[in-house]
Amino acid sequence: MIKHIVRKEFSDVVRDGRFRWCAALVGALLLVSLGHGWVQARQAQEEIVAAQATAREHWESQGEKNPHSAAHYGIYAFKPRLALSFVDEGVDPYTGTSVWLEAHRQNDFLLRPAQDATAAQRIGALTAAQVLQHLVPLLIILLMFSALAGEREQGTLRQLLATGVGRSELALGKALGIAGALALLLVPAAIVGAAALVVGSPGPAASPLARAAVLAGIYLAYFAAFVGMSLAVSAWVRSARTALVILLAVWVVNGLVAPRVAVDLSRLLYPTPSAVEFARTLEREMATGVEGIERPDQAALTERLLAQHGVERVEDLPVNEAGIYLQETEEFGNRIFDRNYGALWDTFERQGLVHEVVAVAAPLLAVRALSMGLAGTDIAQHRHFATAAETYRRDLMRQMNGDLAENSRPGELYTAGPDLWAEVPPLQYDAPTLGWVLNNRIQSLLVLALWLAGAVLAAAVSVQRAEAT
Amino acid sequence: MILRTVLRNEGRLLTTDRALRIVLTVFAVLFVYAVANGMAWERFQERTVETVRTGNTERTSALAQELANIANGGQPSSPFLDPRAPNVLGGARGAHAAVLEPGPLAALAVGQSDLLPSYYEVSIYTNESTFQQNGEVENPLNLMVGRFDLAFVTVYLLPLLVLALSFNVLSEEREQGTLALTLSQPVSARDVVGAKLAFRALFVVGLAAGTSLLGILATAGFDWPGRVALWSATVTLYALFWFALAAWVNSLRRSSAWNATVLVGAWLVLVVVLPAAINIAAGLLHPLPSRVEMITAQREASNDAVNRRSELLARYLEDHPEMADGIVSEEAGVAALAWAATDAVNRRLEEVTAVYDARRADQLALLRRYRFLSPALLAQEVLIDAAGTGDVRFTRFQSQVRAFAEQWRQFFVPAILADERMTADVLSAVPRFRFVDEESTDVIRRAAVPLTVMGGLVVLVSAAAGVGLGRVRGTG
Repeated sequence: MIKHIVRKEFSDVVRDGRFRWCAALVGALLLVSLGHGWVQARQAQEEIVAAQATAREHWESQGEKNPHSAAHYGIYAFKPRLALSFVDEGVDPYTGTSVWLEAHRQNDFLLRPAQDATAAQRIGALTAAQVLQHLVPLLIILLMFSALAGEREQGTLRQLLATGVGRSELALGKALGIAGALALLLVPAAIVGAAALVVGSPGPAASPLARAAVLAGIYLAYFAAFVGMSLAVSAWVRSARTALVILLAVWVVNGLVAPRVAVDLSRLLYPTPSAVEFARTLEREMATGVEGIERPDQAALTERLLAQHGVERVEDLPVNEAGIYLQETEEFGNRIFDRNYGALWDTFERQGLVHEVVAVAAPLLAVRALSMGLAGTDIAQHRHFATAAETYRRDLMRQMNGDLAENSRPGELYTAGPDLWAEVPPLQYDAPTLGWVLNNRIQSLLVLALWLAGAVLAAAVSVQRAEAT
Repeated sequence: MILRTVLRNEGRLLTTDRALRIVLTVFAVLFVYAVANGMAWERFQERTVETVRTGNTERTSALAQELANIANGGQPSSPFLDPRAPNVLGGARGAHAAVLEPGPLAALAVGQSDLLPSYYEVSIYTNESTFQQNGEVENPLNLMVGRFDLAFVTVYLLPLLVLALSFNVLSEEREQGTLALTLSQPVSARDVVGAKLAFRALFVVGLAAGTSLLGILATAGFDWPGRVALWSATVTLYALFWFALAAWVNSLRRSSAWNATVLVGAWLVLVVVLPAAINIAAGLLHPLPSRVEMITAQREASNDAVNRRSELLARYLEDHPEMADGIVSEEAGVAALAWAATDAVNRRLEEVTAVYDARRADQLALLRRYRFLSPALLAQEVLIDAAGTGDVRFTRFQSQVRAFAEQWRQFFVPAILADERMTADVLSAVPRFRFVDEESTDVIRRAAVPLTVMGGLVVLVSAAAGVGLGRVRGTG
């Protein structure tokens, strides 16, 4: 019996002109946004690889100079585009692309693509992820709102139930029939996406295929939650019209209202400092230190070194004090940066958590967090790269200051050469693993599971209670 | 007479319909929330402007004190940052922050103000890379999603309110069987639908315009009547467009359910799909090179410049006789040589930026051409432009900062080249930045074409609805 229901529902939908139009539109948008994302991501990654190679070349070919001059010259790091970023570009347009790693300072990431876009481009950005998060649920609603309410209005529900088909069987059949129709749209897109990933992966990522598989699972759960919700509403309310109105209201809250309310809520609960305040605090603390983090004292260092090596004059030290002092200043700065940037990043993460909590009222927020996480384009992974770049900077400074301390003499005009520059290993970045990503997004996984379970339960209950007429 | 009865009954129906009351209340809450939100953001920006300005004053007075100290025989606080050196006083130490105040109606639309910088530190080192710095400290996730401001509520949600109120103005009468009765009176379907929609439009426009004016009163006051009028006209026209569309769909004499589906579809296509499609097309047809190239170019230019400073200085003096008052490069100081290198890097950056800007101009031209496809894009553009938080005002700010930076260089570079010493008296003559806002009339002139197109659409769709409704009879 259920087979008949599935088949009937499937062919009803597929023969419906409205479905064909909507599906064609959503399908076309999905494919175009996938293709566009892929082309863009590949181009961006190519540029980044080239720029990183040039930056390395600049570093290695700086000729003879003092290691501290080389440290000031520094090197640029460019954030790679990860393999799945073509599905969901996430916050990437709003985080910078590159950072200057130089002596004494932890710099901000600069060059945000969004700053070069107009306001119209900002509201009209469309990625495959957005089609999946916004448009597919709308399609589901349009297909499902009359599933039971429509049958009831036409009086066919009583007939159907009279044939002895179980209510849950009927509901399941309808859900599966519509799922089948949706599959006509989603399966080709998934195949195209997977093919793009295998044939010409835009960039590096740890286990891109596993990430892609989990991503597909997340979206399926999201769609299933919408199918369940639509079925529940359709069984619960009297008229198909009311069902449509309620479901559209849910869609508007889910996709338009809740995300922006979450922004305001996150800013209210965890305010960030203004850029001026942040810069001034940093400047002040770098100049005077803060409690527990004091600026290194050169005279004290000299005394300590003299005592440690049992000599009386600075010239008799086996190391150059200047290099050690520079390194101590560097370590002092690092603690100040960790304090300030760390607090800022923590605030961003807490704000992100607010978005994930609001997901209880709007599943889109949970799916979005997971989607960006798996695509490698969320805040957590931006921070992951920023931390890797900063660690690299600190190692670089340590190496330069170490060379100065070991090989130069006080008062001497010391220079190092290409050998030292080449000794510095190039920046190697390993994107975080799938486990790391999922571990960071436990809340969203939970909330999504809750939505799915809730929707299925609601559907089951309201289908059982549905009145036949 | 009959129309007055229709209106009176409408009023009764609307006030007794519970669902409608809920919808209107929800929207009223959303409007007020959006305005309150915008006001909070404007206050934050005003505080920032204040802090930055205070910073300017403090910096100047600290320098004045140090210079006076030195004149009385004191020592500079650091030999490398001696404020008597023109490249220090005109450099980072004496920099002047050029600030942009929040837009005239900033509380109504956040626009680009959360993303683009609203102040730049201007010194002799200001160049194209200065304009690549980040704006306010803001969570990228929040930037991506955008704020809940009045512009958002107007562009995205207001149409839904309009459609919810009017998708069944005529179809419902037919479905309830009251249409024949109504039309048996000496009124036409056109009059009935017109009266009903006009009544609803009063509600919606009143709500939208009322909350806007509330926000304006609470913040800017009415210093900018032109912009306020532009904002109100745009909101009204945009709402009328959706009413006209609803009237037209009703005139097609289909069921309420059909009307609802088609109107939601139209909303989706005009508000979400078309803007996205236009952007994707622009991205595919005119892809932008990434800014990453800029970093490489800057790096290479400065590597090169450091090695050829004397040669560059000679060329600079040749090209800019106005900057060097009879100085010959042979006797130039270290600061002059450094300036020549800086200038060479700046020129190279300008070249790279010019190439980028040309490509971007192509993309923008395409976007401008096709924005007419979506009333939502038009409305958004005019609204944030009227509020003074759109791209135009930020571009204007940037170009004024560029001009100011040139003024700054005119002031300090001759002194650098001549190796002069600066004194405290100089500080009062140092250029100061003041942003000059556009006249309201200029903003209105720019909005004329989009608004005319929107008005034309309203007339066209209303006319089509009128023709369709003229054919509606009470029976059949």
